[in-house]
Amino acid sequence: MRNGIHLGSLQPMLLATALLASAGLPSAASSAEARTRIAVGATLPLTGSEARVGGFFKEGYDLAFEEVNRAGGLEVGGKKLPVALTLLDDTSTQATAVSLADRLVSSDGVDFLLGTYSSHLVEAQSTVAEQYRVPYVNGGGGATKIYRRGFKYLFGAISPVELLGTTLMTWIDEQQKAGKLPRPSRIALLWENTAHGKDFRKGVSDFVAKSGGAYVIAVDESFALDGKDFGALLGKVKAENVDLFLADAHLPDYITMHRQYVGAGLCHKVVSYGARGSEKGAIEALGRENVDYVLSGVWWSAELGNRPGPSRTFVEAFKARYGGRSPEWFQALAYESARALFAAIRQAGAVDREAVRKKLAEMKVDSLLPGGRLEFPAAYGQQAQNAFVVQQNQPDGSSPIVFPKDVAGAPGVAANPRCAR
Amino acid sequence: MTLRWPALVPPRAAGAFAAAVAALAALPALLDLSAYTHNLVTLTFLMVAGALAWNWMGGFVGQVSFGHAAMFGVGGFVAARLLLAGAVPAPIAWLLGGAAAGVFALGAHPTLRLRGPYFSIATIGLGEATRLLFTYWEDFTGGSSGLSLPIDPDLKFRLYWWGLALVALVAAASFLIRRSALGLQLLAIKADVDAAADVGVSATFHQDLVFALSGAVVGVTGGLWASYFSFIEPNDMFGFDRSIGFVLMAVIGGVGTVLGPALGAVIFVLLRQYLLASYPQLYLGLYGTLLVLIILFEPLGLTGLLLRLWRRAARRPEPAPAAAGGGR
Amino acid sequence: MARFVDLAVSAVLLAGLYATMAYGLGLIYGVLRVVNLAHGGVIMAGAYLGWVLHERLGIDPYLSIPVVLASSFGLGVVTYRLLVRHLPRGPAGGPASLLLLFGVWLVLRNAAYLLFTGNDQAIRTAYSTRSIALLGSQVSVNRLAVLGIAVLTPVLLHLLLTRTYLGRAIRAVAQNADSCALVGVDVERIYTLTFGIGTALAGLAGLLSATLFSFNPGFGSGELLKSFVVVVLGGLGSVLGTGAAALILAVVEVFAILVLPSYLTAAVGFVMLVLVLVLRPGGLFGHRILG
Repeated sequence: MRNGIHLGSLQPMLLATALLASAGLPSAASSAEARTRIAVGATLPLTGSEARVGGFFKEGYDLAFEEVNRAGGLEVGGKKLPVALTLLDDTSTQATAVSLADRLVSSDGVDFLLGTYSSHLVEAQSTVAEQYRVPYVNGGGGATKIYRRGFKYLFGAISPVELLGTTLMTWIDEQQKAGKLPRPSRIALLWENTAHGKDFRKGVSDFVAKSGGAYVIAVDESFALDGKDFGALLGKVKAENVDLFLADAHLPDYITMHRQYVGAGLCHKVVSYGARGSEKGAIEALGRENVDYVLSGVWWSAELGNRPGPSRTFVEAFKARYGGRSPEWFQALAYESARALFAAIRQAGAVDREAVRKKLAEMKVDSLLPGGRLEFPAAYGQQAQNAFVVQQNQPDGSSPIVFPKDVAGAPGVAANPRCAR
Repeated sequence: MTLRWPALVPPRAAGAFAAAVAALAALPALLDLSAYTHNLVTLTFLMVAGALAWNWMGGFVGQVSFGHAAMFGVGGFVAARLLLAGAVPAPIAWLLGGAAAGVFALGAHPTLRLRGPYFSIATIGLGEATRLLFTYWEDFTGGSSGLSLPIDPDLKFRLYWWGLALVALVAAASFLIRRSALGLQLLAIKADVDAAADVGVSATFHQDLVFALSGAVVGVTGGLWASYFSFIEPNDMFGFDRSIGFVLMAVIGGVGTVLGPALGAVIFVLLRQYLLASYPQLYLGLYGTLLVLIILFEPLGLTGLLLRLWRRAARRPEPAPAAAGGGR
Repeated sequence: MARFVDLAVSAVLLAGLYATMAYGLGLIYGVLRVVNLAHGGVIMAGAYLGWVLHERLGIDPYLSIPVVLASSFGLGVVTYRLLVRHLPRGPAGGPASLLLLFGVWLVLRNAAYLLFTGNDQAIRTAYSTRSIALLGSQVSVNRLAVLGIAVLTPVLLHLLLTRTYLGRAIRAVAQNADSCALVGVDVERIYTLTFGIGTALAGLAGLLSATLFSFNPGFGSGELLKSFVVVVLGGLGSVLGTGAAALILAVVEVFAILVLPSYLTAAVGFVMLVLVLVLRPGGLFGHRILG
């Protein structure tokens, strides 16, 4: 046991040494004078399960930063300073996102923070921002819960997911009032058991509760992520004879479920998978004809660029930068959050966190988001409440907006024609 | 069965231990640590405590658990609920969370008579079932939305010392367990359950005890974790990745050694930070390769490596493999 | 009644999928007593291989079966000879084999991330959503094919194990490796080949899964866990047992929706796993395996 004793004394000292070594990491040292740039920090899931979306958000951020720096930067205190983005990979893990935010603020000395993707990461990361009193603008955390904590430094450019459910139901309601859907309509509500799915479900069920019996939720089931088999669940839907099929799923589950849906010969008067539906990847995986008339509700759509306005400018700039590819809502929200931060800095005229925070809280700017304006209303915990746009896949391959009317590119079709075969 | 504590804790070891703890306690003031480093070290302490506790089951008893996240989550959510209710001060909440986790661990009692990979597979099943059930139990865990705790920068700052205290306790416990009769009994069970039973060492009782203790400590760690982040959600707390994390830390540091997992946890955290900054695309593969290399060449992980180097440096002859380290 | 038939059809199809996934794991454990935690990784690799062949060369997934089988076999052989061979056998090797193969799985995952990024992929062929009417339900063509292969595989395996020298050697080694060495069977070679066959079956399962689901480098962990449940339920050394266990698991999971919320049906398999391990560790059809 002699070795045990040596080991016993060796280990704690090793520990101490290792920690001392890591303590040698540079502490924050941002001098107030001789400031040469404005430092903004952010983390995104650049690897890991959400890497695809993380990459999209990065594109949005990059575009915004490039644009502003091309113009020389942001004007503060009489001169123009370039804006620099320090972007780290949080691998979609909560602990990492928080640690990295900590590091960005206290070690790398960034002035402001932009958000990461996915509600639970934003929720965790925003505590760091709030603690250090750093304005944190995000386009990736839609859950209302995040904004109910009374945080002053957290700003969400992304509308609540509940509103997605509500918006879909509003369009459906219009169809029902126009006589195209039965009254009452039976709804199958399937939702992925994530914060996103829960909020979607709340949006739909709240609307139904206030509808005075116009709708009945016949099936209300959550399912686990990355399911392999929805046969039983879809069987239940089939047995309940519903009219409207409203699901909320992320991409892999959408593909799996819809394949089985089509394979099982199911067809309903209205089919929606929440924010899914118009993705190219999904259309390729499922086949064009199988996603016809699927409705999706998104925070922003490239279709909004069909009319002149900030959306079009954005779409064109994006296409020019990224080889002709069209942006989706991820890039748009990221771009817009960065721009909101820039606008606040410009308005404050100083790289001062308190001043910028105040400007963000009071902000009312033109925006490419639906509705044309971006604000962070205090009544909603500083979460934007912009409307969603509803798109519907058409047989000709397009996915025009069908709601709201003022930006609609085509009238929506209810009572899914696919079912008539 | 009597737990006989060693008559004398070796004075040198005790002295070194106390010195190390004191040094770590004084570190933030001595080095004027940045907030980031301070927080990073706090998290490291939590990981160290968890890894050491896991090792009681995985290393001392030899039953590799792939489901420890279950206890971590139970402890975390119980503590969080208590804190949200404002019923008790934080340390009590953490202890109660730990106690709940320990009791929960006892629920795995029927699986404890399984050996080797069967036990491990059973723990995977238990861990995943727990995750799904607790995610579904929205009223308790908040479901996928999780639970938000009010932020408390003071508490977060002081978590450094709470975490250090926890580590000190767990490290001391590891050392004492190993050196005590209990440790010998666990070794006996690890080597040969039936032979141990023949000499009167009841596998059931001891495994229950250790699993409950291990689970309780991991549960306390979960509580501190909840206080640290002010937000926890079941998929993260109960996730398979978290269970695997404990295993990796212990294996990298040295499964079965007394304090190897502590080293493993430190390396795990530091490596993660470093890899994420420099080679985010490679950290999975690097962990995997590290794991493979350790299993093939140095089953006692970094501790074994250091032991070898130590011996070489001190020019001591290498003992026969059978007597090395924690035996198999 | 129609509902019942629907669920039953669903269950049988799902059983086919589960069985296909589990054969490889069961074979490796039955003969080598090694739990192949890289099983999920090989499934993922098989899926990606099929996808690459389909995307780049336009080869239909079912036609690429031989290629996937061969490649996965090769991967298994290499893994065995480089790594697994060095593990101690028997109970002492238990945790070590788990961790070693888990490390291999991490490496496979990382390789996939590097080669293909983390994006979800799917194989879409002309018949991906085609279905035929069977017993009043619509049954996906792909799932039927998977079922067919699930039924065919044990038959072929059975023939292999009983009619060929290799097969007999495998069974002998599974029963008592030491005696086999005594009678001149090259045990290491048998182990190598068995490991390879096991991974080949995993690769095949991955390819078939790719025709049904979308996948990314993280694919395989759910499959691995389900395979555990099936293998444990079915006991060891019993190919038929694996098939029957897959059916039982699938039936319980599918019919559970009548009593449980859909979300919790995912937990059913794990609960069954634990129950079987605790109550009948030999599986429902196998022998006692404690100790």
